[in-house]
Amino acid sequence: MLRDAVRPEPLPEAVAADPRTEPRSDPRSDPHRPGGPAPSPAELGRRGIAVTVRDLRKSFDGNAVIEGLNLFLPAGGFTAVVGRSGCGKSTLLRLILGLETPTGGRIDLEGPAGSARRSEPPKRIMFQEPRLLPWARVVDNVAVGLSGHGSRSARRTRALEALAEVGLSDKAGQWPATLSGGQRQRVALARALVSRPGLLALDEPLGALDALTRIDMQDLIERIWRTQGFTALLVTHDVAEAVALADRILVVEAGRIALDLQVEVPRPRRRGDPDLARLEGRILDHLLGTPQG
Amino acid sequence: MRASRLERLRDGALPWLVPAVILLGWQAAVSVGLVSNRFMPAPLDVIRAGWEAGRTGELWTNLGVSTLRALAGFVVGGGIGFALGLANGLSRLSERLTDTSVQMVRNVPHLSLIPLVILWFGIGEEAKLFLVALGVFFPIYANTLHGIRSVDPGLVEMGRVYGMSRTELFTRVVLPGALPSIFVGLRYALGIMWLTLIVAETISASSGLGYMAMQAREFMLVDVVVLAILIYAGLGKLADALTRRLERACLGWNPAYRSA
Repeated sequence: MLRDAVRPEPLPEAVAADPRTEPRSDPRSDPHRPGGPAPSPAELGRRGIAVTVRDLRKSFDGNAVIEGLNLFLPAGGFTAVVGRSGCGKSTLLRLILGLETPTGGRIDLEGPAGSARRSEPPKRIMFQEPRLLPWARVVDNVAVGLSGHGSRSARRTRALEALAEVGLSDKAGQWPATLSGGQRQRVALARALVSRPGLLALDEPLGALDALTRIDMQDLIERIWRTQGFTALLVTHDVAEAVALADRILVVEAGRIALDLQVEVPRPRRRGDPDLARLEGRILDHLLGTPQG
Repeated sequence: MRASRLERLRDGALPWLVPAVILLGWQAAVSVGLVSNRFMPAPLDVIRAGWEAGRTGELWTNLGVSTLRALAGFVVGGGIGFALGLANGLSRLSERLTDTSVQMVRNVPHLSLIPLVILWFGIGEEAKLFLVALGVFFPIYANTLHGIRSVDPGLVEMGRVYGMSRTELFTRVVLPGALPSIFVGLRYALGIMWLTLIVAETISASSGLGYMAMQAREFMLVDVVVLAILIYAGLGKLADALTRRLERACLGWNPAYRSA
């Protein structure tokens, strides 16, 4: 079930290929997958943004954090980035989102073929903290994700829909202060998803939640990703979480990709699956066996 | 049902228990002759003085004049303080240009300017307006600046990532985030507003509550002096209650301001 794909640096083959013609090796297109009919890859990638990173460099005050990183994220894929703290994984995500400017190299985002520049699906991020506006009701917080597009009532309707998607319809009129940590993070997820993003970056979004809430949130994120088909990029220090959610896992060390693994375990994945456990063990061995960068 | 209504009555009456006991004790002390009413009039005398001043209209004129002065000074000083606080909170350049000067002036007690202000403006309205505005300016300025500085940078970043314009970022993130601190400044400013006005009116005025109290002193009308002091207390309480109500309306999202 597992196929290692340790690609030699500096250039992963995918970068060289034209992203539009690259054949997608999507585990979800496996016809033997248990559960309902799989959406076709074309359908899944319909809103996803493909990301191409070439020779990316970033340093803060002369300290190199990212050193010549190459990466291709196909549209609609779910990629997890794991690594020790300080390895540059969060910086990589912030660079892709445009929250930091690279010191060198380039990042290209490519929306679905044929979409005009203006109607391109947005990119969204979910932070480790919910970052909800405490002075706005839950539904208005979700509407922030629409960044002022559409009439007020249309925004409200869409925000309510997004809240229903994360199972919080009944909290629409509440203040964020009255919600639990997991509920707040679900509101943040609804805010990220309400604009139907093409790329969703998740910066350790579940790190502050308790174990059971975290599993619920993982299932929720996976379910929504499968129905909406955005490109997901998850940065996490929890290897089990990465293995449970992602198609592909990148292990980052000292600003480079040290390991690039495909996870070809069919979905929905069962927790405690031996294949997943073996993969998790491999990644942990790799992380712990190397000196901290 | 009965018990809860009783409880509510008790909770409502509790804050007034101490003032009521003091008033009763005071009245008793004067009536029995423990305290000479040449130095301290009995509460009933004060009420009578208030009734008299109200009947002749003297009280209302002076109260109106003082309130108008207080509000005018508050609007001018508070407005400038708020605007400068916003400017310095949002712009580094503006802050570097003005903050040092403001901090220097702040350390001068504004009431020490009274002699200078009388030389400049005489005892006209400008003198009072100037002093109140100056006194109100600093707490509003400092707290507005602090409020804007202490807005969670994570929320500002979130607003940027989610495509808020600069105006939206200000009205939806920065200003609401600074509001609790601005309210603290407002409450300080209201206190300073009354204090400054009363001192200014006591020293140099031809109308207003402070003037009424000073006139009464000249004619040894102790009851009117005490009446004026009690009116100050009432006005202070009123300003505080209004601010509280405003806070509750604007900061309902914050558990610290929600009514129990």
